[in-house]
Amino acid sequence: MELVVTIIYYCLVGFVSVLLIYNLIKTTEWQKEVLYIIVLIPFLLRLFMLK
Amino acid sequence: MDMTTYALIVLGVMVLFYAGAKLLKLSTEISMFIAAAAGCVAGGFGFSARHIAEGAMTYLDINLIFITATLFMNILKESGGVAFVVRGMFRRFRRQRAILLVLLTILLLIPGALTGAGSVTVLIAGGMVSTVLLGLGVPKVKTAAIVFIVAGLSAAAPPISLWAMMTAAGVNMPYVGFFWPLMLPCLVAGLLTMFILGWRGAPADLERALEELPVPPAGMNWLKIILPFVVFLGLIVVGRTWPHETVVTGLPLMFLCAALTSYVLSPQKMDLFQISQKTIEQLLPLLGTLTCVGILVQIMTLTGVRGLLAVTTVTLPVALVFATLFIILPVSEAVLMWGAAPVIGVPLILLFNTMGLNPIVALAGMSIIWPLGDALPPTAIIGRLTVDVTGYQGSYGQFLKACLIPAVIMMIIGTLMVVYSKQLGFLTGL
Amino acid sequence: MKASIRKLGFSIAGLVLLVVSGLSFYESRHLKEPVVLSDGVTQVMKLSKYFPDIEGTANDCNIYVLEGKEPGATLCILGGTHPEEPAGRLAAWLFAENGVMMKGRLIVVLSANRSATTVTRVGGAYPPDFIIPSPWGGQTFRLGDRWSNPLDQWPDPEVYIHYPSGQYLAYLDSRNLNRCWPGRPNGTLTEKTAYAFLEMIKKEKVDVVIDLHEAELQYPVISTIVTHEKGQELAAVVSMTLTDLEGFKMGLEFSPKNLHGLSHREIGDYSDAISLLFEAPEPFLDATRGKTTTDQLLTGKDEFVVKAGKHGLLFEKIDEKGWPIDVRVGRHTSAILQTMASWTEVHPERPLLCDNVPRYAEVIEKGIGKFLQDPAHGKPGRVLFE
Repeated sequence: MELVVTIIYYCLVGFVSVLLIYNLIKTTEWQKEVLYIIVLIPFLLRLFMLK
Repeated sequence: MDMTTYALIVLGVMVLFYAGAKLLKLSTEISMFIAAAAGCVAGGFGFSARHIAEGAMTYLDINLIFITATLFMNILKESGGVAFVVRGMFRRFRRQRAILLVLLTILLLIPGALTGAGSVTVLIAGGMVSTVLLGLGVPKVKTAAIVFIVAGLSAAAPPISLWAMMTAAGVNMPYVGFFWPLMLPCLVAGLLTMFILGWRGAPADLERALEELPVPPAGMNWLKIILPFVVFLGLIVVGRTWPHETVVTGLPLMFLCAALTSYVLSPQKMDLFQISQKTIEQLLPLLGTLTCVGILVQIMTLTGVRGLLAVTTVTLPVALVFATLFIILPVSEAVLMWGAAPVIGVPLILLFNTMGLNPIVALAGMSIIWPLGDALPPTAIIGRLTVDVTGYQGSYGQFLKACLIPAVIMMIIGTLMVVYSKQLGFLTGL
Repeated sequence: MKASIRKLGFSIAGLVLLVVSGLSFYESRHLKEPVVLSDGVTQVMKLSKYFPDIEGTANDCNIYVLEGKEPGATLCILGGTHPEEPAGRLAAWLFAENGVMMKGRLIVVLSANRSATTVTRVGGAYPPDFIIPSPWGGQTFRLGDRWSNPLDQWPDPEVYIHYPSGQYLAYLDSRNLNRCWPGRPNGTLTEKTAYAFLEMIKKEKVDVVIDLHEAELQYPVISTIVTHEKGQELAAVVSMTLTDLEGFKMGLEFSPKNLHGLSHREIGDYSDAISLLFEAPEPFLDATRGKTTTDQLLTGKDEFVVKAGKHGLLFEKIDEKGWPIDVRVGRHTSAILQTMASWTEVHPERPLLCDNVPRYAEVIEKGIGKFLQDPAHGKPGRVLFE
């Protein structure tokens, strides 16, 4: 059961990563682009089980 | 070179780059990132990818709480639930001003209390509450001040108070026992604010105000609004009552369950992806702030700047610390936003702990003062957001002036809580 | 077009940051730490032998057994409960690589919370690892953290409620091995780890368990032995003898009965063993510390911590000499050896005697590196990895 919850969390992190990338593609302001990338890094590090 | 000189140079470089970035009109988040990167280089560590990424990880779990809680609130708003509640309250109590003001205070406190973000309160309930207040004849500037102050208090209110959580984590203190020390002052200050600023005012056209409020979709009812909250609270109660018989869910999943319940019960169809995407867009400044604060704190720790600030703070005369809390905390919030908690809050709590004060009550007191900084430049994010959402078009200075009386009340309550934290220790229930 | 190129540029920069940092995290998580087994090590087991659910997890650590030439009591050393307190792991390492039990049996654990050795604290700016210089070059150790790696245990609960006391603790402490004792078989990885160790302690009929730690100088429990009431007499003798004979002060504190999850409380309560916890000073953990570097970690020198001390904010003295790692490790080795000696005085029929492990003065004189063995010259089959 713990494993199921953990998998849900990884899915959640994956979903948020997709949303961040989607918004990164959509935005036209350079400062927001930079910020989306900074915010994305911890989500990807967790998603790829690096940190 | 001795450590003090070294840390002062690095701090100087960070301040310089932060100020320079702000002068170039860069956002606070990016300015913090630039200051951190400059500090890292100036400290002799180069552009350390490891430290920058590790710092960015600091608030990953808090960001997840943020995202899921705000998603829940947004679904509730999109489904017409918030409109239903505001309309229902207004229709029922429009001629009983005192009751209506109490209910509006509670309504404003809930979104921020659950998410930890005053901006969520402003976005979810600020607009509708201001419509009701204007309908009650409260001037626009005072309406904006009410929404801002109570939104700030909602962020400090339990269960999620990011200032308290981040500071507690920084001193290895359990985030336990904070409920009443945070709840009581937030309620008291919130109600005082609402009544001081909102009591007077000739009722305008009540019917017109009712017309201006958004109409909830057919099929919306109280059960559909309450049930998601029952799910959320139920998961907390179950987890606390049978902690060793149930699986660990964590706050993000609890909010997610509440959000999905609200989604399923909504009388009108919603595009979940679109709401989620809008939620991320809406939260970008906050997610960015937390991520960049994490990076900044990591670099400050790496280079000894955090140590310098900490040791300077803990060796200051205590009377001076008490007497200047009401300036230090809002100003640190205005510059660093939540970064104020790990950078300024941690050494202060260490000092109070060493003095034998109650760190929980003291930290709760500080958490009441911090949100005031959200109206001050250079950031002023929530202040500006409030002005936008409530449609106030006068000068920002007048808005700040309108906030003054409740702000002073919050400063007094917060400072007294710190000074008398030991005597108020019973509030923690520990 | 210009905007797309800009976006691509930012994305590539982000990707580089991700890849470079990711590689660094991966490498430190998988860094191999060699252990050259002492001739005294008679058996190496896995923790999962005592609780199979741990098998295949990050916390299925090695258990080193040093069977004595003569029978006697059994003592267990737990190193690495909090890996960010390296003197605990290093002191245990000296026993595993040098110790020869003459009487009784010694069980050594180098990475009690192995998961916590694979991660550094977010916001803490810790170096990923550190090198202890030795005559043959030097050995690299993972620094680690206080809590299990979230990659091995995630999510954290809304609040951590200790089993079985029901005491509320910070959510983070659900990953703190020294808040999870006595553990439970159907709990989180950290709780299962504590449970597995307790099974080992019971099955191996351990008489004394010593949990090795370090503490920040701003923390009141420092330079001391914390003992369960069962070990009061033993701990008092050890404390007095060390202070008298070895030249360093070792305090004595009793395990509070209402503070749950800690080894000194729960191991004593839930097994027949006497549970002791040793604390050495580690300025690296202080919140007022200056630059966070391996040099500070290993020398324990810090101007800011000294300044805090001058203002009476610390519970242990510090001067410009700092608290070098050799001093901290030496305190632990001496305290362990003294525990064996004092135990034997009271229980001569079940003695404990360990040979070939340096005491306080010798560790300081020669340095820890002198007692770390070169894996390149380890006998076949006698070099393992943590």
